Amino acid sequence: MKKYSIYIIMTALLFMSACDDRLDFDPKDDLTREQVYADRAGALGALTGIYSIGQIGNVFNGTLQLFGEWQSDNIQFVGSFPTFQEVSRYTTLADNTSISALWRDNWRAIGQANEVITFIPEMEDPDFTSDEREKAIAEAKFLRALLYFNMSNLFGHPFQVNGGNNLSIPLVTEPFDINDIKFPSRATLNDIHALIETDLTEAIPDLDNSDNARATKAAAQALLARLYLYREEFQKAAGMANEVINNSSFSLASDYNFYNTTANEFLFTLVNSETDSQTSNESFSGLTNPTPAGRGDAPFSQNLLDAYGEEEGDLRYSELIQIGADAAGNESVFTTKFPDAINNSGNAPVIRITEMYLTRAEANFRAGTSIGAAPLDDINMLRERADLGALASVDLDIILNERRKELAFEGHRRMDLLRNGMNLRREGMNNVAESALGANKTIFPIPVREVDINPSLEQNPGY
Amino acid sequence: MRSKITQILTLLLAFVVHVSFAQEKTITGKVTDETGMPLPGVNIVVKGTSTGTQTDFDGNYSITAGVGQVLQFSYVGMATAEQTIGASNTISIQMAEDAQALEEVVVVAYGTQTKQRLVQSVSIVNTEDIEDIPAVSPQELLQGQASGVQMVNSSGILGSAPVIKIRGVASINAGGRPLVVVDGVPLNDEALSSGQGGTALNPLADINPNDIASFSVLKDAAAAAIYGSRGANGVVLIQTKSGRQGEKTKVTLDINSSWSEVTDTFDMMSADQYRQFLVSTGQAGSVDDLPQGSYNWPENVVRTGFSKDLNFSIAGGSEKTTFYAGFTHKDQEGFIVGNNLTRFSGRINLTHQATDWLKVGANLGVTENNLDRVGADNSTFAPLTSAYLQTPWVEPYDENGNFVNTGFIANVIAIEALDINDSKTFRTTGNIFGEIKLLEELTYKMDFGIDRILLEEFQRSFEINSPEGFASDFVAQQNKHVFTNSLNYDTTFGEVHDFSAVVGMTYEQTEIRETSMDATGFLSDKQINIVSASTPGETLNRSRGNRLVGYFGRFNYAYDNKYIVEGSLRRDGSSRFGVNNRYGTFWAVGGAWVLSQEKFMQDVNWINNLKIRGNYGVSGNDRIGDFASRERYTGGRDDGDPSSGILDGNYNGVSGLRLLDPGNPNLRWEKSTSYDIGFEVSLLNNRISLNVDYYRKKTSDLILNVTIPQTNGGISSILDNLGEMENKGVDIDLNTVNIQTENFSWSTSLNLGFNKNKVLSLPGASEDSEGRRFVAGTLSQRAIEGHSVNTFYLIRYKGVNSETGNAEWLDKDGNVTTTPTTNDRVIAGDANPDFVGGLRNTLKYKNWDLNFFFNFSYGNDIFIDGLRFAENPFSFNKRTKLLNIWEAPGDNAYLPSPESSTFGVFNQRSTAQLRDGSYARLKNLTLGYSLPSEFLENSFISGVRFYATANNIWTIKDSDLKGIDPEVSDRGFSNVRQGESFFTPPQSKTYLIGARITF
Repeated sequence: MKKYSIYIIMTALLFMSACDDRLDFDPKDDLTREQVYADRAGALGALTGIYSIGQIGNVFNGTLQLFGEWQSDNIQFVGSFPTFQEVSRYTTLADNTSISALWRDNWRAIGQANEVITFIPEMEDPDFTSDEREKAIAEAKFLRALLYFNMSNLFGHPFQVNGGNNLSIPLVTEPFDINDIKFPSRATLNDIHALIETDLTEAIPDLDNSDNARATKAAAQALLARLYLYREEFQKAAGMANEVINNSSFSLASDYNFYNTTANEFLFTLVNSETDSQTSNESFSGLTNPTPAGRGDAPFSQNLLDAYGEEEGDLRYSELIQIGADAAGNESVFTTKFPDAINNSGNAPVIRITEMYLTRAEANFRAGTSIGAAPLDDINMLRERADLGALASVDLDIILNERRKELAFEGHRRMDLLRNGMNLRREGMNNVAESALGANKTIFPIPVREVDINPSLEQNPGY
Repeated sequence: MRSKITQILTLLLAFVVHVSFAQEKTITGKVTDETGMPLPGVNIVVKGTSTGTQTDFDGNYSITAGVGQVLQFSYVGMATAEQTIGASNTISIQMAEDAQALEEVVVVAYGTQTKQRLVQSVSIVNTEDIEDIPAVSPQELLQGQASGVQMVNSSGILGSAPVIKIRGVASINAGGRPLVVVDGVPLNDEALSSGQGGTALNPLADINPNDIASFSVLKDAAAAAIYGSRGANGVVLIQTKSGRQGEKTKVTLDINSSWSEVTDTFDMMSADQYRQFLVSTGQAGSVDDLPQGSYNWPENVVRTGFSKDLNFSIAGGSEKTTFYAGFTHKDQEGFIVGNNLTRFSGRINLTHQATDWLKVGANLGVTENNLDRVGADNSTFAPLTSAYLQTPWVEPYDENGNFVNTGFIANVIAIEALDINDSKTFRTTGNIFGEIKLLEELTYKMDFGIDRILLEEFQRSFEINSPEGFASDFVAQQNKHVFTNSLNYDTTFGEVHDFSAVVGMTYEQTEIRETSMDATGFLSDKQINIVSASTPGETLNRSRGNRLVGYFGRFNYAYDNKYIVEGSLRRDGSSRFGVNNRYGTFWAVGGAWVLSQEKFMQDVNWINNLKIRGNYGVSGNDRIGDFASRERYTGGRDDGDPSSGILDGNYNGVSGLRLLDPGNPNLRWEKSTSYDIGFEVSLLNNRISLNVDYYRKKTSDLILNVTIPQTNGGISSILDNLGEMENKGVDIDLNTVNIQTENFSWSTSLNLGFNKNKVLSLPGASEDSEGRRFVAGTLSQRAIEGHSVNTFYLIRYKGVNSETGNAEWLDKDGNVTTTPTTNDRVIAGDANPDFVGGLRNTLKYKNWDLNFFFNFSYGNDIFIDGLRFAENPFSFNKRTKLLNIWEAPGDNAYLPSPESSTFGVFNQRSTAQLRDGSYARLKNLTLGYSLPSEFLENSFISGVRFYATANNIWTIKDSDLKGIDPEVSDRGFSNVRQGESFFTPPQSKTYLIGARITF
């Protein structure tokens, strides 16, 4: 019969798939590190990726910034979410999952910056010019400096507590290597500040001012000015702020319509869009807009309302507020700085020139100098824009008060208070005592997950 | 492809419609066993023809045949009998037990085996065990049915995915589910659907449980090693129903209706209680200052769900052809508002003996599931979660009765009343096969199988719930095919030597493609689809897949049915692993000794069967995801889960890249080495049968997510092969016929699975303060060296000090503290039970039958994470237990003094949320009545059975579990996230009445 031929066919069938290439099934949408850093397009893509990670709420897009606003006195946190609430009630625990996510996401961004800074100089692509490389590395260094700056403010006490010798976050500048996992210990704040200063100083010459949706020279200088201010190196702070103010690419906006634009008020603004948005719910737009579109968690505190109420007709209030239902169902005042809680497309105002006027004023005042302008002139200039009358004289309280009203909800308030030795909460508010400079719960815990697996990491006291 | 199969089926169907006209005379009679008990379901064929029938419930039959023809009676476990038709119109016979006692044939991997010659540990679940359990998906039928199989329902949501473990969890970070094979086709059970806060939909929810004839659960390496790289978690073989050769065409219609309601819900404060609570704890000045509304949210998101179920099947066979066709329509309402399921399902199974050497066949099942989903667990859109947490003075309606938006804790009443949340799947599973008999002993089989799924999830949220409206659409398609060739050899020589062997190769390929988009900005709620939206959101289109090639072989040799040896071998290659480690070899050997066949046992009449067996083998686990070994930088959007913080690589319209996964090019198979020794004994005329197995399974090269400090580029873990874990235990099955008389019988079956899991070593993992290495699964549980993979690691909560009003905990050394930190965590419990099992009692009296079935779990702890929220003193509604506030020394309070520094943190993660999760549940209680055959004598109906069933109506559990369902699994399958609940919806209680009519 034909059975024997069937035999042969069958044996052939049985082993027909014996070749190995049938086992290949590669990802169709992803690249390996080698492929990414093989050419200019890939490397610049990796650089863009840092900004993209920055769009997570925990990085530049609001969660991190607003934590500080409700830990201090600008926001009355009325939301229900326990991990946010803990921070506003000074009952933060080491297993706070919002804080651990924030930690992770910022290290993700730092890690990618480390890659770009390390790998681009080693690349062989002849089409990748040295100018392009220098610019890309400078952008990454600026971003790394900003990331370290934000993290060091949250996870350790400020310079004022121990002259910068207290523990901050670990200092990591090498890219992730699967064959060399690191278990770093915490660096001192001075070490972190030194890295920030070096990164910014090296970045400034290679940056330009062409696109304020990305790192600019002025933004790097402004961050350096902020660093000097926080370190109480007032003349340097005033000098650096003065350089930014004299940069013709940027100028003080004439009114408050610049939010959510790329107006040249901004030295660097993170651009979000409907198709590439902030993390929904948890970022600037979601938290600071009333319900139902937003979450309604973060209305003005009574203390901030009172501050604006001191003077009639402050445009920084009247032009920038909306009234709506908060998370607790009450009618409250909310900011309009971060529109569109539906698609979360509002931009993040990372660094804008107004801060430089305030920094110049404060630093000059503290140093007793008048680099660029006298403190009174800077303050009156801002007051004029706010439609308030000129003052005859200024003191530190007035400068800080103006700084508060200009930069409310943008993530400055907490550090502005701490570095001036002031409690985060004003008299009459909750948790005044727990909010003093140096108090345990004014800074975040190192996430318990990290302390658990890295014995070199020391936990902050009280956690 | 599908249309081709349909054509072939149509052709085959044409063969089947076959009517016999050779009427001569009607023979009736009764078939009984040796004790005189009627035997239902005996197959009776007129030899040499296609005419056949079966006996009814009372053992009676009726068949038409001519004088001189031969009737052949066959029944499992009985010797086949033949009777030649003479003058009499009545032929009643008594069937004798088969000399080869239990010649029951069980389905094993790539073939069948007689029970006698099994050297493996296989649990069989037959139709009669499962036919009364109303199930949405196949796994539900397995709960409590087989020893060593632990099944935990993840939630009471329709279509939710249960967790199944066979002999404990054999892995830490690779998947722990068994491989499911339907009619020889290994199914993909990767979830395609979204989680919506809880678990993704059960990937097997579109396999119709009504089509299932039996399960074979392959538990040990000897049984599963032939599935090689996928056998380590055990294998569940599902056989769908089929017709029988020579069987009279049998039509079955089964209709039932059921009502389901919720079992347990938290006892939450009413609006009045809540207002008073705020005043009592100093959070409000007076009750009058607070909003005055009132609404009972938890009560209004549950309901009595009404369901209808219709199953229709037709099965039969001629001498050459068998067929089964089934149709199911299910219309089910869950007990949570807005949770509905509609199912249409059809199946056709055919075999045809074309020539004496060629047999062909096809099995094809199609299911359409339309599920109206609800969120669950960790979602503010989940009805039960939000109903618990919603402030009780918030009302869903305004004064005019219109829905309002309630903000972050969503108005779930409005969402379920208005919004669309549909998940539709269409799944086709099937295979066609041909068997060629090359020699009398040698058969070649070719099998081509497909598993194809089309899923569409559409969501539309309307103006009141999402200002400007929102819509999203997600489409996934899975295309899998399996091609298997095998040679089967089966022979007996020299009277006493039985030898069988199978060799073969199989190739599988799976590809999954996903597309999704969302948008906002709708002008009107009357516009449903994304085409009407003005603002496009994020879009996604991606694919993944894998390939697997396997070569396998097995032999079984039996000498005189006394001494049996078996060996199997498989070599698998998979695209999932690094290029250097794609292939793995798996094997098993085993043997059995049937003592009862020995001469010296022949005189021991009270022992019917006694067998001891043992085996040893190695199987693998490839459940790591398709690209886990690959280093990946990704550009666009990665996944839809904002909580992961992963968005995309792009910024401001510029394409970018970011590190998604470092991969590990050296990743290789995880291997489980196990041995199993067991014995089977049947006593007293088979009225008592007992199976006991002892096993030990050691998994090495554990695929481990080695956690690393996130200071390494934000990477949380690296997948690597490290460490060892062990499961050991005992499986016991005991079946007894307690009473057996003519009118009354009572039988009991009990199964018990004891399992002890222990992590042996985790080199490279982090060390805790005691120097033990561990891998953290959640913030509450860890796999710890020397302990279980699901060890709870928590601060110990002591309670509220009646003198001081402070909440108190124990520090690491056992001293009382009011300021515990994470350094005070200790080993506090284990999510794995000491044993699980099932107990079934079946009582029959005349035409009545009563069946009750318990399943139970003992010794496991569960962590009710949701209590941290439901007992939060500040935000959200709270459990009524919090009304017990400390006010003065001597108070035995639940909540600390509002003045205490511990007031706001008393609910922090600790043993305060840990509970004893042991339970026993009356899973199923069924009362049935079959109409006596004399009622139906002159009708075309051959049998009618009425039945009433109740499910989950009674649960024995710890008193601390009031309002808490003990069956919990938080967000799915992860082996290191077991026994936790974050508002997991409870199981439902179901009452069902139905009728089964056969023609």
